[in-house]
Amino acid sequence: MILLSALAIPLLGAGLVLCFRNQRAATFAALVLGGFEIAALSAVVWQVHIHGALQEGRYLRADGLSSFFLMGIAFISGLVLVYASGYLRHMGEGRFSSPRWFYALVFLFLFTMISVCLSANLGLMWIMMEGTTLASALLVGFYNTEGAVEAGWKYLIVCTVGIAFALFGTIVLYLAAVKAGMSSAAALDWVSLMNAAPHVGFDPHLLKLAFVFVIVGYGTKIGFVPMHSWLPDAHAEAPTPVSALLSAVLLNCAMYALMRYDAIISRAAGPGFSRSLLLIFGVISMVVAGLLILVQRNLKRLMAYSSIEHMGIIAIGLGLGGPLGLFGALLHTFNHSVAKSLLFFSAGNVRHNLGTLRMDGISGMSRTMPQTSAALLAGSLAIVGLPPFSLFISEFAILSEAFTQARYLVAIVFLAVLSVVFGGFAHHLFHMLCGEPDRRAENSHLIPSEYMAMGIAALCLLFFGARIPHFFGVLLREATAVLR
Amino acid sequence: MDFVGIATGKVLSSFSVFLFLTILLLAVARRISTSVLLFSLQSAVITAEVLAMAFQEKLPEAYVVGVLVFVIKVVAIPRAFFALTKKLKTVRDVKASTTPTQSVFIVAAVIYLSYAAVHSYSGSVHVPDDALAAAVSLILTGAFLMVSRKKALMQMLGLLVLENGIFLAALITTFGMPLVIEIGIFFDILIGLLLMGIFTFRISDTFEHLDVSKLRRLRG
Repeated sequence: MILLSALAIPLLGAGLVLCFRNQRAATFAALVLGGFEIAALSAVVWQVHIHGALQEGRYLRADGLSSFFLMGIAFISGLVLVYASGYLRHMGEGRFSSPRWFYALVFLFLFTMISVCLSANLGLMWIMMEGTTLASALLVGFYNTEGAVEAGWKYLIVCTVGIAFALFGTIVLYLAAVKAGMSSAAALDWVSLMNAAPHVGFDPHLLKLAFVFVIVGYGTKIGFVPMHSWLPDAHAEAPTPVSALLSAVLLNCAMYALMRYDAIISRAAGPGFSRSLLLIFGVISMVVAGLLILVQRNLKRLMAYSSIEHMGIIAIGLGLGGPLGLFGALLHTFNHSVAKSLLFFSAGNVRHNLGTLRMDGISGMSRTMPQTSAALLAGSLAIVGLPPFSLFISEFAILSEAFTQARYLVAIVFLAVLSVVFGGFAHHLFHMLCGEPDRRAENSHLIPSEYMAMGIAALCLLFFGARIPHFFGVLLREATAVLR
Repeated sequence: MDFVGIATGKVLSSFSVFLFLTILLLAVARRISTSVLLFSLQSAVITAEVLAMAFQEKLPEAYVVGVLVFVIKVVAIPRAFFALTKKLKTVRDVKASTTPTQSVFIVAAVIYLSYAAVHSYSGSVHVPDDALAAAVSLILTGAFLMVSRKKALMQMLGLLVLENGIFLAALITTFGMPLVIEIGIFFDILIGLLLMGIFTFRISDTFEHLDVSKLRRLRG
């Protein structure tokens, strides 16, 4: 029942929030529902930790890997709901752009992402992955401006086509499993596939074909270059809390789906093929996004390209494999989410106070908006991977794995891109923070909800940089055990 | 020999040819309404294929899928398209960036390529070359329509052709996925089309045209 309730709360919540026409009531309802949702997800994580994998019916299951990602969803969605409660005061009343529609769509979006992590069946996982696109497309186009409509259309088309390729890959995997003698019910179930993988003779050609389609398909959602074209537009045009959800939760969910396929296929056909594909996509994404970061003019687009770069880093960690590589990759999914939420929250404040996100039009922010500037600075230092923030640890783990395996080319590219990104962020930030302020901020101080969301994110980054809490470490170990 | 048996045999042996015909005609179609009719025809061929397979392999589930395909893809979606074009009062031309002659040559090349691509796989999955090549060329033609036609409605149609190809590939290689998953996929497609419909309204509202190639404010 517990898995079902973790799914039912956001789904029913989406309907319930629609009943509140008043903005304050809708916000309050959303916060309460968000609290319930976090409690349900924590219960799932706890149960998985105590009893091992949970199964409900034929279609729902949670194991160590899913519970690690569920914890990330719970944490980030909590931060986003708190931040959104203050952010919504900026939002105008449109026919479909009222707060209650906003919250309803956010809960639907959360529902689809949680079901991706809870589905036991690869077909259901695909359906829910497509569901994430559908639920968030309206959120991307929420402001109904020219840019938002364009970004929403592009997002919908590019991701639907991409995901269609993932469906084809899933069908090929299903075909390989059915041909190897599995029953049609078991051939899409990831546990049966994982158990059967080492000894049932899958056709290796079909498996490789399947993985190529899946990595292109889910890679579109993850934002791997060259399938990333939707990502900067969607992140830049969406309302800020949604940008944070897209970057910090959705990309991870797509990565989770890819990890499942990678685990099955590397068990059945040896890790060589899928891992090298992951490495190739990871390195290309990192390099291209790293270079594009230098030429960005819009703050949120800068963040979006940085997300692509970090997805590249995670893919490199997965592609290297090994204990440190997997540890680093998983830890990095969480760290990146927290840092990126902090950055998007600050970007949202910048937009509302200065009315622009064009970085060359902003200067002297550190004087007009000291608190937001501090958050932006902390987030940027974290995202470029400087100690004492937690991203340093995960990037360091991946890098040491690369050196352990004597993959010097990967290591050198990795380091080179990190320094380019550091230079890019330093250049953009210096321009924005220093100098003479050229326009007044309307309300330069943070309100309590923003304080809370940004403060928790920043503290979490610092704390995890100093030491990884015991319980989190245990979860991380359970998650890596699934992948190995 | 009974009539149904003969019909089944005919359908299974000739559906690829009809599918190739529909994509070649889609390449030359100049009007959105013609393209929608061709899509409807293509889906009808696929319905026949599903029913024939269901009869031959004695799969009761597949009849349900066949009925679903017929109701959704042959009737509902084309009707929705016609309603949309009427409401949007858009120009009827598909605004192709390639001439019809070029398009036919490209689709012919796609068909040839599909045969070449599936040749190494068709033996191992025990499916005739023609069927697999038809599925792959539907996928590729769908992608081609999406990049070469500028109207938002045609991009939706290209997506549907692509999806038809994936559906066909699943059908001929594995007799379809489990029914629940199949229904879920149909549901996703319907919602997706609904959303795209909403977005076409918004595009025509905010930009006063439906030419997707002019949506190019967001760059870099």
